[in-house]
Amino acid sequence: MKVTVKLFATLKKDYFESREFDCADGTTVRSLLDSSGIKDREYHITFVNGRHADRNEKLKDGDTLSVFPAVGGG
Amino acid sequence: MDFTEEQVERYSRNILLDDVGGTGQRKLLDSSVLIIGAGGLGSPAALYLAAAGVGTIGIVDDDHVELSNLQRQVIHFTSDISRPKAESAAEKMRLLNPGVTVIPVMERLMAGNIVSVIKDYDFIIDGTDNFPSKFLINDACVLGGKPFSHGGILRFYGQTLTYVPGSACYRCLFQTLPPRGTVPSCGEAGILGVVAGILGMIQASEALRYILGIGELLTNRLLYMDQLTVEFRKLNTKPNPNCPVCGENRTILEPVDYEQPACSLKEGPAAKVNL
Repeated sequence: MKVTVKLFATLKKDYFESREFDCADGTTVRSLLDSSGIKDREYHITFVNGRHADRNEKLKDGDTLSVFPAVGGG
Repeated sequence: MDFTEEQVERYSRNILLDDVGGTGQRKLLDSSVLIIGAGGLGSPAALYLAAAGVGTIGIVDDDHVELSNLQRQVIHFTSDISRPKAESAAEKMRLLNPGVTVIPVMERLMAGNIVSVIKDYDFIIDGTDNFPSKFLINDACVLGGKPFSHGGILRFYGQTLTYVPGSACYRCLFQTLPPRGTVPSCGEAGILGVVAGILGMIQASEALRYILGIGELLTNRLLYMDQLTVEFRKLNTKPNPNCPVCGENRTILEPVDYEQPACSLKEGPAAKVNL
């Protein structure tokens, strides 16, 4: 199945802005990002198709996964 | 609904708005907002809420003005360096609008005092610069049923979410603090001053629209902003049934302090919450 990963803020500078991945059924948010080389501690919040999703959520063909780092200044 | 001549003139541009009018202006004058942090986010929020005529505004900060703050913390001037931030901010707000009551609070908010500080306010603005404070404020507001606006900024980016009882809270999205050392501090990573200004004003707008009961709040939606591309993106969320503070099996029953200054300008003692 194909899943598009979009990275935001500092992540897109450090890795890539948008990329399509071919992944196996059952791939989760966490496993896809792990295999993309994005470390668990580098991202803070994930959305699938614009809706908040946790890291254990299973992805489906055609999903768009949006990934954000922590932003905590003030 | 009595206004003085001075009030009618001062607030005429508010009153002219169909969605505000005299009734709305009276609501603003009768309302109270607490701004936690007189920094990059708190500065614009404080100025605009005072200008709008929010009747009582609390401003909390235990820090002092530093030269490096002035690039974005626009409520403080060069002559304020070394003054307490809460005092400096309160002075400007009173000069801008002597008709509002400003309450400076020169305290560090901790689990032990946050409940008593927030209890008398209608709406809370989180303008703090570190994760321990953001989680503490979230937990205290959720447990106390207080609406609040979360804000966070770094470099060119910002995010904000509004909580009202029943909507998703900050912890519904971010269950735990990011691991220590994984998020650079504002002092390390930098922040474009206008990013703080834009986001702080969005937070002030949330407070005003909550008080007035108009429009749509950023509840159950995280607004993410990128000022390199001038992109604004609203991301949907909903209350998380597993949230430890507002979910079905709550494990956080009172505010707690966290030991992790993740994005403070100073590296303080680990056990302190640095506003």
